[in-house]
Amino acid sequence: MTVHQVTSVTDRPGAAYAGRAQATGRPRISMTARRHRAFYLFTSPWILGFLLLTVTPMAYALWLSFTTFDGISPNWRYVGLGNYRELLSDPVTWDALGRAGLFAVTSVPLSIVAGLALAVLVNRPLTARGLFRTLLYLPAVVPPVGAGIAFKLLFDQNSGAANGVLTFFGIDAVGWLADPYARYVLLMAVLWGAGNVMIISLAGLQDVPRELHEAARIDGASAWRAFRSITVPLLSPVLLFQTVTGMIASVQTIMPLLLAPLGDTSGITTIPQSNYLYMMHVFAQYFALGRYGYASALLWVLFVLILIATGLIFKCASGAVFYNVDPEAKK
Amino acid sequence: MRAHAGAPPSRRRFLAMSAGGAMAGAAALSGCALQVSSGVSGSGETVTVMVNSGDILPEQIQQAKKDLGIKIVLVKYDITKLIAMLTSGNPPDLVRGVGAVELPYFAARDVAEELDPYFARSSVLKADDLDPVNDLWRFDGRTQGKGPRYGMAKDFSQDSMYWYNTAAFDKAGVDYPPETDPVTYEEWLATAERLVQRKNSQTVVFGGSFAGLTRATLLATITASAGGSLFSDDFSRVDFTAPEARKALAWYIDYCRTKVGPSLIQPDPNGWDGPTYQAGRLAMSNSGYWMGGMIGADKKLAEVSRLAPAPIFAGGERISACQGGTGLWMPRGAKNKDAAWRVFEWFFGEEPARARASGGWGIPTLKSLRPLMPAKEDYQKRVLKVQENELKHFSVVSFTPYTRADAFDALFNQTAPAAMNGQISVDTLAGRLNAAINEQLKRGKEQVG
Repeated sequence: MTVHQVTSVTDRPGAAYAGRAQATGRPRISMTARRHRAFYLFTSPWILGFLLLTVTPMAYALWLSFTTFDGISPNWRYVGLGNYRELLSDPVTWDALGRAGLFAVTSVPLSIVAGLALAVLVNRPLTARGLFRTLLYLPAVVPPVGAGIAFKLLFDQNSGAANGVLTFFGIDAVGWLADPYARYVLLMAVLWGAGNVMIISLAGLQDVPRELHEAARIDGASAWRAFRSITVPLLSPVLLFQTVTGMIASVQTIMPLLLAPLGDTSGITTIPQSNYLYMMHVFAQYFALGRYGYASALLWVLFVLILIATGLIFKCASGAVFYNVDPEAKK
Repeated sequence: MRAHAGAPPSRRRFLAMSAGGAMAGAAALSGCALQVSSGVSGSGETVTVMVNSGDILPEQIQQAKKDLGIKIVLVKYDITKLIAMLTSGNPPDLVRGVGAVELPYFAARDVAEELDPYFARSSVLKADDLDPVNDLWRFDGRTQGKGPRYGMAKDFSQDSMYWYNTAAFDKAGVDYPPETDPVTYEEWLATAERLVQRKNSQTVVFGGSFAGLTRATLLATITASAGGSLFSDDFSRVDFTAPEARKALAWYIDYCRTKVGPSLIQPDPNGWDGPTYQAGRLAMSNSGYWMGGMIGADKKLAEVSRLAPAPIFAGGERISACQGGTGLWMPRGAKNKDAAWRVFEWFFGEEPARARASGGWGIPTLKSLRPLMPAKEDYQKRVLKVQENELKHFSVVSFTPYTRADAFDALFNQTAPAAMNGQISVDTLAGRLNAAINEQLKRGKEQVG
């Protein structure tokens, strides 16, 4: 007979509570039930927040997308799928979507490559490594509004430092903040925040077992080969995460608005065409043209497109991502 | 199966309960929002005013509390927040607005309170003391400038006038513009081209800036100067192919194409002319009297700055409109209208109005406050003389009630850069603008009914 078998009912965890419950006539609650209750109690704030702040606005936006509502006019009406039909035939929408797609496929890989390169750099045993890590991460914590102002001053055609360098070398100044160059400034402004990617990649790099690299070195693998065959596969879940979140963030970026001559909401009317991305089109429809219904339809289409793009990324990456933990192990 | 007491809720039941809780929470939150942001206290002596920072100073709020016995709660002006507050039936008691472009929009949608009865019984704001610029805050259901009053301008400028820097003129060897007679738009542009200084494709000194307050008001005003109207009689359409509107459009596109000043294809990172003019990098700035507030604070700049009349088109009418007329209006759903009106009177006719009049940041909107305009120094006297002469040519250029100026500007700026860069002709641009803007006006007209 084991010690466990001789313990009485009253020795078990929770028994005192159960005993009190019986004494007070309240129904007895099993451990499983209490665990479930605890789970629901802990998750309910998030679920309530999700329902209140995500599901409710989305449902409201869905309803708006079937109307001509403009915020205050009395004669708005239900138009069914009218806004969605208009969207399909609106060349400005398609152009904005195309630019947003191009921006995503350019900015996301560039950010990941830049962030990963920086992470590899500051993962090496350098002098003042902590200082470098801090300095490289600092731009990522600068508020976007501040970054927007700094970039506008830096790239001003007539008094900006960027053209100062060009003219020093006898090259004509460039109108960076107007078409067609404004897209490059936007790209640089996004790369400016590559510290975010760096910090996540750095955490991933520090998880790569050192003995694998040592074994590769003994086997005669070059540093590049070891990086390609060991580091990248082990970092692949991190890279997948960054690809998905980076893609979502890039199509929702408001940086073009912050780079516009008027850096507030009225700046929406002054954005150069090359930076007039899909979200800017949505913003303009909501707040400049007052087309709440049409803008809501645009947002719902974007939501569906993001879902599809995310699904495609996961599908394409399914054979290429290496998970160090066996997902079946805990079943 | 019924769950017995004490059993954990099923996932489905839990989600249903959460949804119910969310709805209850939403209702509770909106209830709280009503209580919080209406700013109406139990005694009814709290007034919520939605303005920009600086429109009403903290010390003025304290003074109002002492003098009027009314607590003013400020809400930062934000058009999206205003629309949300109007939609939820919980608007501020007074709201900042740009009379020239916003009043027709809000009045046509029946969200603004008619203030004629309040003006009729006011001992502070008397009809015969109101400057004609306050007509921008009148709307008869179709035309701006006529009918009942819905608000009042806090100060104003004739926004097609321009400041110029005599040092830049001297350096370029260009004669100063006449003080009382206007130059033509063509002459203004030719002067700007002579004043601009470039080096290595960089503009060291802009010849002149001519942006107006918005593209919508600018083009409506220039078209009026050319003897026409940008809008049809019922304000439901624009026609950029009409000779006068086309002339105005062609001039503005020429201005942008020559790159003598900031525009969409040559943006100024400062976002407005003030800092560039102050730095001596702008020879002429299309800003009215109000920019004198900034200029007057810098003695050196004031000595070399002059104000000039609004340009005209050769043979055209001399028109010098106000493109702003920023002031306050009272939403129809305001909770505390009598107290709000008392604050309105105080803001437009008492201490804050006197402080604004003597500050030089705009012309007072009560004739009785004109003597307070700065006129001590020589440069102030000179500016005042030009301004007083210009007032004779003031007129209201009506704006459409069917769209906001932001929408007009957004559509214009999507289309016009191609013409500014010489990729399409002005005629093609005019056609495209007609199509895009008339579609927006059509939607607006449907909504107003």
